[in-house]
Order: sequence, then structure tokens, then C-alpha cells
Amino acid sequence: MIKLENVTKIYEINKEHCVTALENINLEFKEGELIVLKGASGSGKSTILSLIAALSKPTSGEVIVDNNRISKLPDNFAALYRRKNIGFIFQKYNLIPTLSVKDNILLPLVPTNPDEKEALEKLNQVMEKFDISHKQNIIVRNLSGGEQQRVAIARAHINDPKIIIADEPTANLDEKLSLNFIEILKKLKQSNKTIIVATHDPLFFNLDFVDKIIEIKNGTIGDSDK
Amino acid sequence: MMLVPEVLAILILNLIFALFSLIAFVLAVRIFFKWDLNATTKLQYSLEKQSFLTATIIKYIFAIKLPLFLFFIFTLDNISDLLTGAMCAAGVVDATEYGTYLFILKIINIYLFGFWLVLHYLDIKSKELKYTKIKFGFFIIIFLLFLIELILESIMFNSIDIDKMVSCCGTLYSSSATSYISNIFLIQTPILLSLFYGNFLLIVLFYYLKQKELFSLVNLFFIIISLISLILFFGTYIYELPTHHCPFCFLQKDYYYVGYLIYTLLFIGTFNGLIAGFINDKQRVKKAYKFSLVFNLLFLLLVSAYPIIYYIRNGTWL
Repeated sequence: MIKLENVTKIYEINKEHCVTALENINLEFKEGELIVLKGASGSGKSTILSLIAALSKPTSGEVIVDNNRISKLPDNFAALYRRKNIGFIFQKYNLIPTLSVKDNILLPLVPTNPDEKEALEKLNQVMEKFDISHKQNIIVRNLSGGEQQRVAIARAHINDPKIIIADEPTANLDEKLSLNFIEILKKLKQSNKTIIVATHDPLFFNLDFVDKIIEIKNGTIGDSDK
Repeated sequence: MMLVPEVLAILILNLIFALFSLIAFVLAVRIFFKWDLNATTKLQYSLEKQSFLTATIIKYIFAIKLPLFLFFIFTLDNISDLLTGAMCAAGVVDATEYGTYLFILKIINIYLFGFWLVLHYLDIKSKELKYTKIKFGFFIIIFLLFLIELILESIMFNSIDIDKMVSCCGTLYSSSATSYISNIFLIQTPILLSLFYGNFLLIVLFYYLKQKELFSLVNLFFIIISLISLILFFGTYIYELPTHHCPFCFLQKDYYYVGYLIYTLLFIGTFNGLIAGFINDKQRVKKAYKFSLVFNLLFLLLVSAYPIIYYIRNGTWL
């Protein structure tokens, strides 16, 4: 379902200085899998996520999702692809602090201009699923880290994307909240979403419902577990 | 050289245009010769990024070029006060041997840039970017014409001699003139008006028959016939003077700048009519048909209103 073929990504800082984030990597993920990308900071995990989400293009090689060559998509089509297929969960949640919980969750629906009734129905479903309904009118900056994370997950879920991408999702959470997040991931996996988590949090490395753990080392594929 | 503020502004903008269009040209040549959308090489990804940059540069050039053309006419009108004998932009255009060619080239380039924009719009509408190579190839040609335009413009402003007497529009656009323009005065008014309104009827006919190539062709004729009709017939009613045939004077304040509206309507109408024949995108063709018909009709109604109002007020034709 998701394929990275001979992907190299080089960030050009200036003419003399280039950073090779990924070097000729090949990866393949099946639909419904939960994949953990592990590795030290700067190893290239987030770059893989941004390539799969069509947020950036490789320097060479190709990214294919559901037989679509997404690394070849023009920017306007890449935006459509993201809107339809990708849910993002970020380390710092990336919520809009001055909006309420429900307004933040509804944001991904804005460009799709849905019917109001349908949007509210989806909103109620995801708020219930991620146990945040009781806070729906609270401004998000007044929420705790764990609650903000749940809002971010609900927001990633509201478009019903096929792929959920989480970049260091537990970096700002304590162990208890991290375990809660892992429980949520388990729920998401049951709904047949493809989930790719980039993390160096050891809590993820011994989970029985994780399908693959791939180590990224200096832009190349290291050991793979499972 | 006439270093009035308007001319200076145009020359400075020309320099900026020359610089940016040169960048766009170099990139366009590279894209045109090396583009292969199927390739997943470093070169191809870099070309994809560059194609975005190049298209943006060209779009901005056009976005400035279009109002700048109106400003160019406005400038010619303004500096006509400085030339002995000139009454409007026509005198300035005729003041050097380059003026007429520059003016024609400017109009052609605006149409070509417009076509380029349509191609670009169609290109980015498809995932396969199927017009990328064509649009940058087309830009290579436009660039050369654009460069000639910039050079001609600089030469024209440089060679205007304010001590030299020039002809006024009344002399230039008259049956006694010795230029090629005087040949159009051989056309009889009834024949001209039949051609003008007949041509518009053909536009309407091909609109209903959805014959896009023919629709395009009659729009091309409509540009020529409309310009001749403006000089020979409709202009005289705008001025309410049977002997005044200038296509520039009605751009002036005395005539409420109506010329800008007249030429804008004609440009939008005929431009859309022309592109209808060259594109295959059904939605865009449909839109072009409608725009062309509406704007050509508005142009026709506007220019026709002058003789009709004149007749109602005076009970006679000029």
C-alpha cells in the first residue's frame, strides 16, 4: 500500500552545505499496519513521514501510496491527497490555542465544505471515541497536555483518513498519558487505519499490536523487528 | 531621451522585466529540453520545483504587463503635450519609425501571454502536467518577442526628438494620408457595417453550433473589423465630428476615458473567442464561449450606442 522506492532526500542549506536525511531507502507498508519508526533525533524519521504525507518531495526515488505516485503530484493535488488520506498527530499538537476543542477538531473539514449536520455528527463521534466530549467548548490552551493530545488525535481522525501519521506523539507526555495514547493507537488500529509513528520512546518498542519496528540510522534502514 | 516620470517608470519596469524574464527563459529552456515526468531522478524533481518558480515569474510579468499596457497608452497621451503637432498618443506613436511596430507587438504579446496563462491553467489542472513542455516551449517564443518589445520600447523613447514636428491624429487617420492606414478609408460605410454586424452574427451562430475552430476564426476577424470600424465609423460618433477618425483620442479625459472600456471589452471578448479554438478542456471552452459572447456583445452595444444616441438627439447621421 505504501512504498518508498530508492528514496533519497537531501536538504540543501546552501551551495556548500547539504544534509542527506535519507539515502536510497526502500520501505513497504501494508494497509492496516501499525509501524513504528525508531531512531535518534536527526536520523530521518520525520523526513519519511513528510514524504508519505506529500509535505515534501524526495530528491530522487519515488513514494507510492495505493498505486498513486504521490511524490510526483503537483502541489495542488498533493494538498487534496493529504486532505483525503492523511491524519496528522504532532509532538506539540499544533492546535490553535485560541479556539475551542470542537472548533479545532472541525478544522480539517473546513476546506471540504461539508453539510453542517453531517459535520456535527462526525464531530460528536470522534469526541466520544477519544473521550473529549465533556470539554468541547473549552478553549484548548486551558487543557492539560494529555487532553490536548486527545484533541489532536480527534482532529486527525475527523476526515476518516486511511493513514495516520504521528511524529513523536508522546514526547510531551508523562508515562501515564503516554500509555493512554498507546491505548488510543490500539483502538485506531482496530479500525483498520495504517498508522506510522516516528518515535524514540521505548514504550512503543515492546507492544504486541505493533506490526513493524524499523530503525532509521543516519538516513538508512537499520534493524527491523517483527 | 524623454525622461518624464512616466517614461522613467516604464523603463525601470522594463529593466526588471528583462531580468526576471531572462531567469524564466533560462529555466524554461532547461525544462523544455529535459522534462520527463516519469523520471524519479534528482534532475526531474528539481525541474518540477523550477517549473513552479518559472510559472510564477511569468504569471507576475503578465499581471503587471496588462495594466502597464494601459499605462503605456496613458503615457503616450501625456507626453503628446511635449511634441509639437501631436494631439494625442497617435502623434507620439508616429513620432519615430518604431512606434507603430511597437504598438502592434505589444498587442500581440498581450494575447500571447494570455494564451500562455490559459495553457498554464490547463496544465496545473491535470495530475499528469501534460502541457508543461508545450507551455515552456511556447514561453521561449514569447520571451523572444517580449525582448524585442522591451528593446523597441527603449529605442522608441530614446529616439523621440521633441524639437521635431510630428503629425497629429487628424492627419494620420484621414483619407488623404499617405500611410497604409489611409487604405481603409476606401471601404464604404454600409459595407463596413455589414461586415461588422455580420461578423458578430457569425460569432453568435458558431456559439450556438459549438463550432469552436470557426468561432475562433470569426473572433480573429472581429478584432480587425472592429478596429477598422472604430476608426472609420464609431469613433466619429464618439467625437461627434465626421472628420475625426483617431483610435486614441477617445482614451482621453474629454471622452471620459471610454476608450479604455471599449478596448478592454474587445480584448476580453476576442481573447476568449480565440482560445476556445485552441483548447480541449470542455469546461474551459464552455466558459470561453460565454465570456467571448458576453464581452463582444457588450463591446458591440457600447460602440453602437454612440451613433444611435447621436441620431436620437440630432435626427440625422454624421
